[in-house]
Formats: sequence, C-alpha cells, structure tokens
Amino acid sequence: MNDRIERLEQEAANLKVPSSAKRDGLYQTAGAVAMVAGVVVAFVAYQLSLGKSDDRDVQSLIILAVAMLALAVTGAAVFLRYSLARFLRFWLLRQLYEGQSHIDQIVGALGRPNRAEEREVTTPG
Amino acid sequence: MTAGNGSGPAAPAAAPLLELVGVRARYGGIEVLHGVDLAVLSGEVLALLGANGAGKSTTVKVAAGLVRPTAGEVHVAGHDVTGASCNDLARIGVCTIPEGRGIFPNLTVRENLWMATQVAGTLAGAEAAAYERFPKLVERRTQLAGSLSGGEQQMLAMSRALVTDPAVLVLDELSMGLAPIVVQQLYEIVGQVASEGISILVVEQFARAVLGIAHRAAIMVNGEVAHVGTPAELESELSSAYLGGAGERLSGRQG
Repeated sequence: MNDRIERLEQEAANLKVPSSAKRDGLYQTAGAVAMVAGVVVAFVAYQLSLGKSDDRDVQSLIILAVAMLALAVTGAAVFLRYSLARFLRFWLLRQLYEGQSHIDQIVGALGRPNRAEEREVTTPG
Repeated sequence: MTAGNGSGPAAPAAAPLLELVGVRARYGGIEVLHGVDLAVLSGEVLALLGANGAGKSTTVKVAAGLVRPTAGEVHVAGHDVTGASCNDLARIGVCTIPEGRGIFPNLTVRENLWMATQVAGTLAGAEAAAYERFPKLVERRTQLAGSLSGGEQQMLAMSRALVTDPAVLVLDELSMGLAPIVVQQLYEIVGQVASEGISILVVEQFARAVLGIAHRAAIMVNGEVAHVGTPAELESELSSAYLGGAGERLSGRQG
C-alpha cells in the first residue's frame, strides 16, 4: 500500500488543476469590457471618418472601426464562454439526472430480474 | 489514536491523504460550509456524521471535486488540488461512491464493471475481484443493474470503485434505503477494504452503523465540524449533534 500512497503523492503533484472560479470571473469581466469598448470605439471611429476629407484618414479610421468590431465579437465570445459555461454545465447535469430517473422508471416497470434480458458485454476493438 | 472499543480497528499512520483546510462552499447566495477542516489519515476510516442539512454531503462533494469551494483548500497527499475535477481525482486515486450509488441502471453488472475498467484494470480482473468480494454478484452478472436490490447495487458500486485501485475511498450515505442487516454486511466489507490499507471517508446519517469500523469520527453541525475524536470520545456529543437542545434534555432525563 505504501507504493500506492507514493503513486498518489506523485500523481497529485503532477495534477494540473484548472483555473479558479475567480479567474473565470476575470475573463467574464474582460470579455464584457472588450465587447462594450469594441462597439463604442468602432462607432466613434466610423463617425470621425465621416468628417474626414483625406481618403487616407478615412481608410485608417475605417480599419480601426473594423478592428474594434472584431474585438467586440471576440469579447462577446469570451463573455458568453465564461458566463454560460456554469449555467450549461448545470443544465447538462439536470438533463442527465432527469434521463436517469426516466430510465429508473422504465426499468422499474419492466419488472424484476427474471424478466431482464441476458446481455453480453461488448467491448470496442 | 484508538477506536471506540477495545477490539476496534488498529490505529492508522499519521499522514493525511485527504485534507480539507478552511473550506467554505455555497449554493447560489447561501453559504453551506463555513470553514470546514478535516483530515483523513493514511489507512484510516473517518466517519463524518451529522443531522440532515449539516453539510456532510457538500463536504464530500468538495472532497470529490464535484463542488468547487469558495474559500479554503483541498489537499491530496500534501498537494493542493483545490478545483481539480472529479474525474481527475478519481484517476489519481480519490474515488467517490455518491449518494444513490451512481451505477448505470440500464447496463448490466458486467457492463458497469467494464465502464470502471476504462480508468484502470481489465474486465476479467475486475470481475474476479468483484465476485470474490461479493459472491452474490456472480449470479447477477448479466442482469440490469437497475433491477438489483439496493444492497446489491451498493455492492456493485463498491466493486466498481475498487476497480480503479483507489488510495482514498469516499462513501456518501452507504446505508440510504437499505435494511439494517444489509447495512451491517456492507460496513463489514468496508472494514475489510480499510484493512487492506485504503483510507476511507464515510458520510453517514445513521451513526451507530459506522462507528463500529471507524477509527475516528467528525460531527458536523450547521456547516462546521463541531467535534472530532474517536467514537468513544464522541459518544456523548452524538445526541446533541442530532437533536440539538432536545438531545441534551433527553440525556439529562436519562442521567
């Protein structure tokens, strides 16, 4: 058993623990900020471009506006990823639980052992 | 460290394999664990007792990686594994049998064992070990797990957990929905498993069932560990933990 404990110690030391909930919250906030800032700056850049007569200035501002739109889309994706992940995980668990209860009901209705079909384990490969 | 009676289990070595340090956890806005400190020593059976709503199952969920603590740390063999997922912890050797057993009811006994072999071992090895420990399962091996009796389902759940070669086994409400005689048989087997050197954290609402095999016990009250000690030391605390003031009044009357 000492071997097992040594192995546990080694594996626990090598375990990569995922980011903390605090970091998830940080990403969520950063995503929201990027989304809002992207939209605002893109709008301002576009408005400014309308007042420019030099084509080079207009092009620069339009490029900035498009880049900011890309930032807004990325920010939205990051925000959704970190805000919805927990909700979706919970939803998935709920679905699994309800599926399990449904199966329990069906198994219960099928009756006791003598009515269960004999089945063989099928292993891949 | 000694057990509750003279013929109780031998004392374990003193290095914590699983440790919760100042763990706090909440469901939504409600904090249910308020700084839980708990250590399962190497080779020890630690019983976690308490009334309904004391926070026992949440403590187990934190230890098993099913609930992430809002504060505090979870250590395995001295290493911080706070936030590690349940499957990662199972892979390294902290295996949990959840409340309700967690077997696949629509798979047969063999198929359930085969699922566990995806973590470690072979089906033949898993079956041999399971049937040796639980001979009752031999005749049930091609039967749907959902159609087994509660005790047999619990045997299957334990067999499946043991396939993964755990160093720490976490059992949540082993006795739920089972007849006292079956519970007694299961705890005898838990005692055998512990004697093989596997550390066990067992959550149990019915204290008497588990105290016979536990080296130590912890009593939870309102999301905190109120008492830790040997079963003999905790004898007097049990009634107040379960019944609050009513327990103390009853003890007074009996005294």
